Amino acid sequence: MNSGKKRYLYSFILLAVLLIAGVILNLCIGSVRIPLREIIDSLKGIPTPNERILWDIRMPRTMAALILGGSLALSGYLLQTFFHNPIAGPFVLGISSGAKMTVAVVMVFFMDRAIAISSGTLILAAFTGSLISLGFVLLMSGRVKNMSMLVVAGVMIGYICSAATELIINFANDAQIVNLHNWSRGSFSGTTWDNVYVMAVIVIIAFAWTFLLSKPMSAYQLGEGYACNLGVNVKLLRMLIVFLSSVLSACIVAFAGPVSFVGVAAPHIVKNILGTNKPILMIPASFMGGGFFVLICDLLARTLFAPTELSVSTVTAIFGAPVVLFIMLKKSREDMR
Amino acid sequence: MVYFFRTEKVSAGYDGRPVVEDLNIEIEKGSILTLIGPNGAGKSTVLKTIARQLKLISGTISIDKKDLMAMTPEDVSKTMAIVMTEKISSEMMTCRDIVSTGRYPYTGRFGILSPDDEKKVDEAMDLTDITGIGERDFKKISDGQRQRVMLARALCQEPEIIILDEPTSFLDIRYKLEFLSLLEKLKNLKGLTVIMSLHELELAKKISDKILCIGENGPERFGTPKEIFKDGYISKLFNISDDLLSFALDKEIGILNT
Repeated sequence: MNSGKKRYLYSFILLAVLLIAGVILNLCIGSVRIPLREIIDSLKGIPTPNERILWDIRMPRTMAALILGGSLALSGYLLQTFFHNPIAGPFVLGISSGAKMTVAVVMVFFMDRAIAISSGTLILAAFTGSLISLGFVLLMSGRVKNMSMLVVAGVMIGYICSAATELIINFANDAQIVNLHNWSRGSFSGTTWDNVYVMAVIVIIAFAWTFLLSKPMSAYQLGEGYACNLGVNVKLLRMLIVFLSSVLSACIVAFAGPVSFVGVAAPHIVKNILGTNKPILMIPASFMGGGFFVLICDLLARTLFAPTELSVSTVTAIFGAPVVLFIMLKKSREDMR
Repeated sequence: MVYFFRTEKVSAGYDGRPVVEDLNIEIEKGSILTLIGPNGAGKSTVLKTIARQLKLISGTISIDKKDLMAMTPEDVSKTMAIVMTEKISSEMMTCRDIVSTGRYPYTGRFGILSPDDEKKVDEAMDLTDITGIGERDFKKISDGQRQRVMLARALCQEPEIIILDEPTSFLDIRYKLEFLSLLEKLKNLKGLTVIMSLHELELAKKISDKILCIGENGPERFGTPKEIFKDGYISKLFNISDDLLSFALDKEIGILNT
């Protein structure tokens, strides 16, 4: 085995260990401390004192944080590949804000008629919003070649969507505002097993599909001209990447509200651990890295100022935004040379 | 005479608007065709159309008697490889990683290289003399090395034709010579057919078997270097005024003297 392959193997072992540790910490720590032995006992089916907390609250929440963190990172990686731009991500490009806008529309105008909103409706609404703002970003990207300008365009689109969301909230009654506010802060509290099943099915399908695209994506990284020469159907690939990244980021927004910067930070860190940007390695590694990142952020969000909970998005921004800044600085230094 | 590559009445351009019309060329296997002409006349347009990156507006292009436009993308990728002018924005890729992408048409669903693929990569790197820099980051090598890596990448596709758009533009004279001598070596060694555009007329004259001149009004002349570089044609092709020409002749700029 050559040195590169060894590094890949060690990186995956590291990510797996981190991920397992993240899960265990999330299950153990909280207002009630649950020792690891109790968790193992409970998994074996032996009755334990804190069973209900473990199975009804911590387990689904931990699973949700892992799955959604992973899909955020994967969505970011897809967008970075698509735009050939390491600071592209669902939040940075305003895609999450677009999803938030359409979810707000659905919450305000449909809850009014006392229709219970299923998670399916929410996902569909978020997906539509993601596609709308991504559509705008695509229109812009045709005109701006500069990497930073694309991000500025995305941030502006995010602001427009947020303004529209505020406008919609004006039409909402108090109960709806509370609902909307809780949701849009970005939180995993109150996640049920049913939610977890729905997101798991969607994310597993999207992940598998993305993984199957790893070969054409590797050719696409060289640029469209080379990809086309290598026999890649570039148009189809671009459409699939847009579709998959929207599904993945919509899934997160629908369940946990917009969560910031994971999509840029996690793939970047993982890429530096692996020492390569090959999609076949980066797709699973980004997912694992994103899962770990959000697990830790959620743990901090709910324990730092307990019993008050921070929003996950606040914590991810504290760790994630500096990474984005760092990439931009590094990139501009490289461009100067 | 059986020609390996030919175009008949080809119109090439963007969005259905032709830039170059009525292009008729034919070359033999294992020869070098060079496109020369002023900037913006349509050299890249022609190359991109041949490489199937631009839609052919009308006419036919055939390789080894097969209609290029009727070939599957996979067949094309095994027949024709490209080296383009635009720099690629690689991220965390070693030179060997870049070269390996040329095996794309031959690998399976997930693009994993077999030992046989690895051997082909080794061969291509050996031929282009980049074995020593295989593990270096593609972004951190010189322009001359970069072009050789891109050429090795193209060779990994095991093409019969290779298309290069101004491959020597950013190189200093030593790297220019190195690169062109490499192309000639590949032509002789592997029977590779080369179609490229060059700005260096002196070099184009020496290395090409056939030259196609594309002027402001489309394809003007097609022939051997001897047929092209005569009767002061070059100064006409590039629209060089009499004043400029006498200046050039005064300074003994040789290529315009033919």
